[in-house]
Amino acid sequence: MTWDSWFKRRRWEQRMDAELRFHLESQIEDYMAHGLSREEAERRARIEFGALDLTKDECRDERPARWLHQIRRDFQYAGRSLLRTPAFATAAVLTLALGIGANTAVFSAVYTALLRPLPYHEPNRIYSVEVVIPERASQFPSLPVTIQAFLEWRRTATVFDGMTALRPWECNLSGDGEPERLGGARVSANFFEFLGSPVVMGRSFASNEEQPGSENVVVISNALWQRRYGGDPGVIGRKLDINGESHTVIGIASPHFLAPVQTQLHALVPFAPRLDIWKPLAPTARELQGESWDHGVLVRLRPGQETAHASEQLRSIMTAWATTKYPGMKVDLRTQLRPIREVYSGKIRLRLLLVLAASGLLLLAACANVANLFLARAASRSAEFATRIALGAGRARILSQMTAETLVVALCGGALGISIALLGARQLTTIGPHELREHSGINPAALLFALGASFLTAIVCGAIPAWKVYRQDAVSGLREGARSVLGGGIRTRQVFMGIQIGLGTMLLASSALLLRSFINVMGADRGYSVDRVMAVDLSLFGPRQDAATFYRQLVENTRSLPGVQAAGVINDLPATAGSTGASRTIFHATDTNFQDLVLKRPVAVIRSVSTGYFAASGTALRAGRHFRDQEPTLVALISESLARALWPAEPIEAVVGRTIRQGNVTGPLITVIGVAQDVRAGAVESELPPFIYRPYPQWASGPATLVLRSALDPAALSPAIRAEIRKLSSNLPIPPLRTMREIVSESVAQRRFQLLLTGLFALIALLLAAVGVFGVVSYAVACRTREIGLRVALGATREDVLGWVLKSGMRPVLLGIAAGVCGAIAGASLIRGVLYGVTPFDPYSTVAVIVLLLVCSGLACYLPARRAARLDPMTALRCE
Amino acid sequence: MSAKKTDLYQGTLDLLVLKTLAHGPLHGYGIAQRILVTSKEILQVQQGSLYPALHRLERQGLLKSEWKESGNGPMAKMYSLTTAGRKRFQEEMADWRRYAGAVAMVLES
Repeated sequence: MTWDSWFKRRRWEQRMDAELRFHLESQIEDYMAHGLSREEAERRARIEFGALDLTKDECRDERPARWLHQIRRDFQYAGRSLLRTPAFATAAVLTLALGIGANTAVFSAVYTALLRPLPYHEPNRIYSVEVVIPERASQFPSLPVTIQAFLEWRRTATVFDGMTALRPWECNLSGDGEPERLGGARVSANFFEFLGSPVVMGRSFASNEEQPGSENVVVISNALWQRRYGGDPGVIGRKLDINGESHTVIGIASPHFLAPVQTQLHALVPFAPRLDIWKPLAPTARELQGESWDHGVLVRLRPGQETAHASEQLRSIMTAWATTKYPGMKVDLRTQLRPIREVYSGKIRLRLLLVLAASGLLLLAACANVANLFLARAASRSAEFATRIALGAGRARILSQMTAETLVVALCGGALGISIALLGARQLTTIGPHELREHSGINPAALLFALGASFLTAIVCGAIPAWKVYRQDAVSGLREGARSVLGGGIRTRQVFMGIQIGLGTMLLASSALLLRSFINVMGADRGYSVDRVMAVDLSLFGPRQDAATFYRQLVENTRSLPGVQAAGVINDLPATAGSTGASRTIFHATDTNFQDLVLKRPVAVIRSVSTGYFAASGTALRAGRHFRDQEPTLVALISESLARALWPAEPIEAVVGRTIRQGNVTGPLITVIGVAQDVRAGAVESELPPFIYRPYPQWASGPATLVLRSALDPAALSPAIRAEIRKLSSNLPIPPLRTMREIVSESVAQRRFQLLLTGLFALIALLLAAVGVFGVVSYAVACRTREIGLRVALGATREDVLGWVLKSGMRPVLLGIAAGVCGAIAGASLIRGVLYGVTPFDPYSTVAVIVLLLVCSGLACYLPARRAARLDPMTALRCE
Repeated sequence: MSAKKTDLYQGTLDLLVLKTLAHGPLHGYGIAQRILVTSKEILQVQQGSLYPALHRLERQGLLKSEWKESGNGPMAKMYSLTTAGRKRFQEEMADWRRYAGAVAMVLES
């Protein structure tokens, strides 16, 4: 019945009309039956009937579901009255839109990075396995897995629904177009089935393709298929030239396939930033005899299985294998399981949540601002409300109208905010770190979030003003006129203003800390130059000795190019996170007992360098000499940290000339000819392991990076470099030349992202706060115009008035700043994890922020204060 | 003495309407005429009070309405009592009798 009448309003109106007209007609007929003429009857009937519209109105009030009609009327009225005050409406809607838009955009990013379901089958059962060796924990908190351990586990473990292994792999694709370097992985045969993300065309690997000799089959990514082969289904079965060998394409991965990139899985298992090709793992006999901790292993637990139990079984299998391999050696191996969700979101989680918190603070500040606007609006209409209450309007009706207004403002703000968020979201993907690349604009979760935020802000902004109106005394409201009555309302507005200032302080303080951290990080001494150095990655394949010759020739040729001050080659730049390349335990020459010492001696990562590398990169030598072109004996340069780990009590200079062994106690002796400066990765917080540098002819590696020192711009130098490379190899992919600054800058992308967003929010909050202060102080001056006139008439000077207004205006500002500083201190522990080189209680930042706020609010106070000081006392006193 | 608008007759008007409809369905004009005639022209119900009251009683579920042909002319909205209406009528009658009796007792003491 009630919904019925709602929808059939017009019909109801027609019937109402018909009913009353029938009454009127009947009355007229009666009069005519009594002898009156038609006109006379009509006249009398109409007079007796009374006000038609009033009757209709009262009947409308008795309609069922009248509350629905009232709500509709409230919204219509709210819309009309907002349109009548466009300044207020624009200010309120814009402010809320900024707050809601910022929140929605950030929430959308958070959802993509942290909450969105992974495209796997039952992802909460998938874990990554890591090994922990307590004796090595200081150098390596955890380690990846060896291929032998994986094979043992696969053979004997019983508690899993499947497991798979993966290892980084990069290769050159040539023969059918421009040679291209592809990032990818070597994986066990069941990789795609394990994840539950099967190939969309062709087939996946078969288990017999895990043998050396049968492994030349590859699955390519959907992106590569579209990009290089135009989406041609005929690519299945085609033979590709990969690293000089022929491989058959057997399948194409799903377009939404997700696999760990870069160091997401583990710092020692670094993948390329983009994965385009997968090939089966096929361990050779030599690999199975060696020991290389460089595989990632994913396991799927059975439903209801405990991680501790699974971890224990893995541990016991691995320990059993280790004891057979190293009989008599006491070995303590542990395993830990990490949920796959953490692999993808672990590192960025803290930063994203902090950015979300910052956007939340901004929204609160916006709400405080808008609440003040609503208070001002209610104040200016208090005469109207008082009249209506005096005439019998229920306070509840007025309340419902005010709520309708706040809802309209909030919903409009929300809608505009969503458009802002859509724009912002696109920017987020470009400036953000690679974890956000998957981000595809606003998703439904974010829309719901925006809607919820709008309703919440409506409640927050509307509650206090509505409560004030509810408690308003109708009589006094009519008697004295609006402003002086709500002179008491100034306090609430000052409280809101103080809240805004406090929130702005917290945002500015955290931005200042982030800014200082960023500056520290960018200016930190990494052990190599960031300016005037450029690099290009070359992925040579083929026999290792050919690589040595190739690079030596290349370095010689590029060194003689005009504009190049120094040139060299290293197999992996320290600037990029993660470290590929072999790592070995380093022993003293005098060590004989492998079992006893293998866990006591340091592990170092081996870097192949050519002559000229240290000059090009700017890494200094602490002692000793550089490599020469000819080194008749086995030599090495070691990093400072390795020197200190091997000979803790000795000065660096004494280390030069000592001999070491690499990997075991029976190999050849290697002479230490120098000690190099320690280096840090681009992101600076991560410590790099100790390095042992070997000259290329003695330890060669196919993939390497050419490093050049030159004052020229990379664009100017690039053609010459490409020409030199092409001269030596016709089908080597040549990626663009990059400056070291660019490379380092990429590695701090997360940090920069957080800084930019938090800084933006802080500036918006500062602007809102300044506007808020201006508004509140202007209002206070307007309220107290008569009082000011009185003071001036009684002898106060202009400066007195100025001082008085400033003092009363700045008091809540100071309180707000104090509250904000306390809030920032309270949140210090949260932000500590992302800072570098500053403590959360850094005095310089705090002082700078306080000064900035005082200056801005002081200026915002000063303008109306100056106006107040210039008031003519006569006009002021006459003003009401 | 003509009945004034809404306020004074809020409760009594309802009772009068319920009683009038207890005899059978009627449209609004008919109800007003019946009350006028039965009270010997003393109680004249204005449509400004009658129709809101009729709609209110209908909303409360005490009356139901139907559009019917009225004698020789246009459609009219005929009201009739529901079961709940009948019950309410009995209750209000009892209340009224008690009230009127009490007032009479005081006035004649």
